Amino acid sequence: MIEIPELAFGGLAAGTVSALALGSGLWRSRRERARLRREMTGLRHQAEQSARAGAEEAERIRQAFTAELEHLATRRMPAEASRTAHPHVPVPGPVGPEGAATEPVLAALRTAVLQERKRVDAAARAGMRGTTREIQASLYRLQDILHGLQQRYDEPELAQDLYSLDHENEQSLRRAQVAAVVCGAWVGLAREESHLVDAVTGGQARLSGYRRVKLHNHLDPGTALVSHAVEPVAIIAAELLDNALRHSSPDTSVVVNLEHVHNGVAVTVDDAGVGMAPDERAAAQRVVAGTDPIMFSDLGDPPRMGLAAIGQLTRQFDLSVDLSTPSPYGGVRAVLLVDKHLLSHIDPALRPAAASTSPSTRTGEVPRPEPLAGHAEPAEHAARAERVEHAEHAHAPGDGRPVSVDDQPTSGPDQPAPAVDDLPRRRRRQVSPDQAAMIRPSAAETAAAPARSPEETAAALGALQSATAAARDAARSEGTAPR
Amino acid sequence: MRGHRSGRPLVPAYLSTSGVARPSRNSLERLSVLTSTTGPVFGDLPAAQHALLQSLEGGSLTVVEAAALLRLPVSAIRVLAAALIDQGLVTARPPVPPAAQPDHDLLKRVADGLRALKL
Repeated sequence: MIEIPELAFGGLAAGTVSALALGSGLWRSRRERARLRREMTGLRHQAEQSARAGAEEAERIRQAFTAELEHLATRRMPAEASRTAHPHVPVPGPVGPEGAATEPVLAALRTAVLQERKRVDAAARAGMRGTTREIQASLYRLQDILHGLQQRYDEPELAQDLYSLDHENEQSLRRAQVAAVVCGAWVGLAREESHLVDAVTGGQARLSGYRRVKLHNHLDPGTALVSHAVEPVAIIAAELLDNALRHSSPDTSVVVNLEHVHNGVAVTVDDAGVGMAPDERAAAQRVVAGTDPIMFSDLGDPPRMGLAAIGQLTRQFDLSVDLSTPSPYGGVRAVLLVDKHLLSHIDPALRPAAASTSPSTRTGEVPRPEPLAGHAEPAEHAARAERVEHAEHAHAPGDGRPVSVDDQPTSGPDQPAPAVDDLPRRRRRQVSPDQAAMIRPSAAETAAAPARSPEETAAALGALQSATAAARDAARSEGTAPR
Repeated sequence: MRGHRSGRPLVPAYLSTSGVARPSRNSLERLSVLTSTTGPVFGDLPAAQHALLQSLEGGSLTVVEAAALLRLPVSAIRVLAAALIDQGLVTARPPVPPAAQPDHDLLKRVADGLRALKL
């Protein structure tokens, strides 16, 4: 009997325990679920928040980038484009750090604009070159006609008009030639070996104010330029003199001095004009140095071609021009240095300088011939050359006078040596047939081809090398550089 | 290159007279004979006048001859010579009139005779 209630109690107790256990498990799981739900809500919230923040950030970056692009398109690219023409234009930097990515765009733009600018410039120069070349050729033909007329007609009134026409023609010729040279053309005229003073005086004659130029020639008579340097030196002299004349008052003169220096000959042009400010002088010096290639579009409007032409020629012909010192007269001093390898010698007795050129001041300084001809040969030779400098010889038409040349230093015995205290005197001399043959042009030309000295050969090869190097540089900088 | 000068002259003729082509006197003709009256002058003469004076040293030249010698047109030599005459450095003698010139035939015969002698 007892068993049944015990069993019931036991069963009840077990039921209670299990119910309790179940209840607590249930309660715990509910709590866990609630925690999880809470956690999930938090996470979702967080995710939503971060998504919102991400979108905001993306929006901000998008806006910054748009602003950067707009800044690039409206400010930086135009500035960069105009900077190729005007280097002083500042290019603004990027707005924010995002702009770093736009730097290659600017670099590519810079390259493209420069390339295009060079191409357009080269095209403009080519067009100009062709035109000026034609004009120059026709002006040379006109000059030939005018010279023919001057020889044929000597009536004063007509001659006066012919002189004026010739002068006008020279000036036009100078302008056409300078334009052609700036456009990269050749000087346009092959000259023969000529006296340096002829080249400078020829340059002087191409200007309207040539009467204001005072030329002092301190060179040894016969100092000449090799043929390819004649026209460049004349052009440079003309342009330097033009600058000097243009920037000085009409009642002052422009002084030109030709002097020997250690490395060749210096042509110094001094004016008493307004002078240049240091920065102007530095800019002019850069242009005439000829180191930078000439851009047609840099020359201004109307184009200032003179200095640019000088720059072009100094680069091509290994001449040098210096404008860096002010003149003691208050204006500008320009010094053209003609290197030794561009110089040569013409016997002034056989081919004197043009009649209108200043005679050398060295004429009076030449040492008198010594009685012992064998010891003072060069001096005597020079002195002889002086004395007969302006006399013309057997080949001059209409010249019936005896020729006063004794070019052979060994012709001593039949002539009495001058007494020591005698002044050098012009004497009539008989010309022996072989001497006459020597100074006849054809014979002289065949005789005057001596073998080149090693120095001359070296100079010629050096000139060739520097010319090809200069041309290669020019071609490289011209238009078609690799992208 | 020596001797004969070819090609375009570098220095134009107008430079020799500073652009003047009207001489200060009209007495000079192509065949007027110019003679220097002084020795060498190292004064302040313009270059071309100096050159003309130098070419007259030791002899006389006609205007045309001086022009050929200095490679200048006759018109320029006239201006230069007139300036030198004004300064008293040069005298000019009028050319021998054609009537006073010896007979051409006679001259030719003399020349022929001389050639015959030489042979």
